[in-house]
Amino acid sequence: MKKRALIVDDNDNNLLLEKDLLEVAGFEVSLAKNATDGITSAKKEKPDIIIMDMRLPDMRGSEAAKILRQDKETNDIPIVFVTASVMAEGREEINAITNTRFIGKPIDTRTFAKEVSQFIN
Amino acid sequence: MKERNKNKESLKCQAETRTAAEKIIIKQLHHEIEYRKKTEQVTQDARNYAENIIDTVREPLLVLDANLMVISASRSFYQVFKVKPEDTEKKYIYDLGNRQWDIPKLRELLEKILPKVTSFDNFEVEHDFLDIGKRIMLLNARKIFRETNHTHSILLAIEDITERREIEKGLEKAHKELQELASELKRATRAKSEFLANMSHELRTPLNSINGFSEVLYDETFGPLNEKQKKYVNNILTSGKHLLLLINQILDMAKVEAGKMNLVLSNLPVKSLLNEISLLVADMASKRKIEMLIEIAEDLPDIEADELKIREVIYNLLSNAVKFTPESGKIGMRAKRADSGIEVEVWDTGAGIAPENMGKIFEGFFRVDTPYSRVTEGTGLGLPLSKKLVELHGGKFSVESGGLNKGTGVKFTLPIVSKKEV
Repeated sequence: MKKRALIVDDNDNNLLLEKDLLEVAGFEVSLAKNATDGITSAKKEKPDIIIMDMRLPDMRGSEAAKILRQDKETNDIPIVFVTASVMAEGREEINAITNTRFIGKPIDTRTFAKEVSQFIN
Repeated sequence: MKERNKNKESLKCQAETRTAAEKIIIKQLHHEIEYRKKTEQVTQDARNYAENIIDTVREPLLVLDANLMVISASRSFYQVFKVKPEDTEKKYIYDLGNRQWDIPKLRELLEKILPKVTSFDNFEVEHDFLDIGKRIMLLNARKIFRETNHTHSILLAIEDITERREIEKGLEKAHKELQELASELKRATRAKSEFLANMSHELRTPLNSINGFSEVLYDETFGPLNEKQKKYVNNILTSGKHLLLLINQILDMAKVEAGKMNLVLSNLPVKSLLNEISLLVADMASKRKIEMLIEIAEDLPDIEADELKIREVIYNLLSNAVKFTPESGKIGMRAKRADSGIEVEVWDTGAGIAPENMGKIFEGFFRVDTPYSRVTEGTGLGLPLSKKLVELHGGKFSVESGGLNKGTGVKFTLPIVSKKEV
């Protein structure tokens, strides 16, 4: 069965690139352009993994993750944050949320899908 | 006859006694005159002495009698206030210079304050004089009592502080302006670093897309490219990565300059780090047949530092050495324990730095022409940024060169424990 991934990012290019890379690696991918849509979509589709940008138009990625953790249906879905700098852009607040990882921006197109796969339990 | 003789004798005797007495008196008078002459001489000496002192002092001085008539004035008084002795001496002080000295504040000092005290210092008087314009003066007054006639004279020292006040005012104004400038500068610096932080995010987002899509294309993930397409995509990717490096380095420079570069300190095993990076560069060097000598002291201690930053510094220096060294040249790295830290030197036998360019190498975007490799490979920011990163750790950074084509040596130190920089 195909693994299903949800990508939440407000940048069309990022969505497209990450979607392509994951689809090539055999994922079934759905997309959301803000946190609210992403949370709705996560509850409905219960993906195997969520890839989330840290800076979203309606709230910070970490806040969206906290909301997902409070819901029984989504509280165990692994979340991968794609964050701009290696520097601690909210690294501590991410670490405080269970079952999260992160990948630094810019993503390495050659390893991205593999890294994401490894995070799925 | 006998009687007459007797009288004559007695008269003679009397006269002789009187003469003797007169002689004594005359002698005494003579002494007295001598004594008075001497005393007068002493008094004259004392007066000359006093007048000489008064004339030597740069501050104008006036000596007044108890009725505020000028007894004498110092030479500097005449010079400063441009008046003549004949218009001053034996004149009522308020009448001086066509009654110009009839100053209410001066009256207050002389008539109200001074009668109650023996001295008064730093009494400030401001007055607009006809000849010399507006003056600010500090007056020191002393009452000098004279035992002889039970009266007193007044010594009035007049310090002209007009210019000093002007300078003080100027200084105050300059100080204020400087403070305003400093806070303006702070504002501008903050605005600049905020701008740069935003700009770098705005620039990097599309650039990351360009690089990401080019990479996917180059990897032929969605189908094969012909030779030309592959080459062009590779050019896009190379330029994109160069641009990204440039943006990152500019941002780092700006952060260091704004004091916003935070070091993430951890224990750093320098020995293995140096070996690891030299292996990375060895590949680059061997491609150009450059011999590389690595001398790392056995007792090189671990240090506390920001690993990513130090890695960047060492990589910058070693790759510079390769870039600026001709084929069959030599490059090397020496590392040893120093006073309270470590010392690393990266050297090469390459292009060197002309003495006239020594000052420019830390300015940023300055690149020495090298015939040995394409200079476009570098950003021109590696050296200045490395220097700043080393200094941020509390280390020293220096560059030496024997001159053009005489090779270059870059030396830096790092303390065992870096000072925690904010």
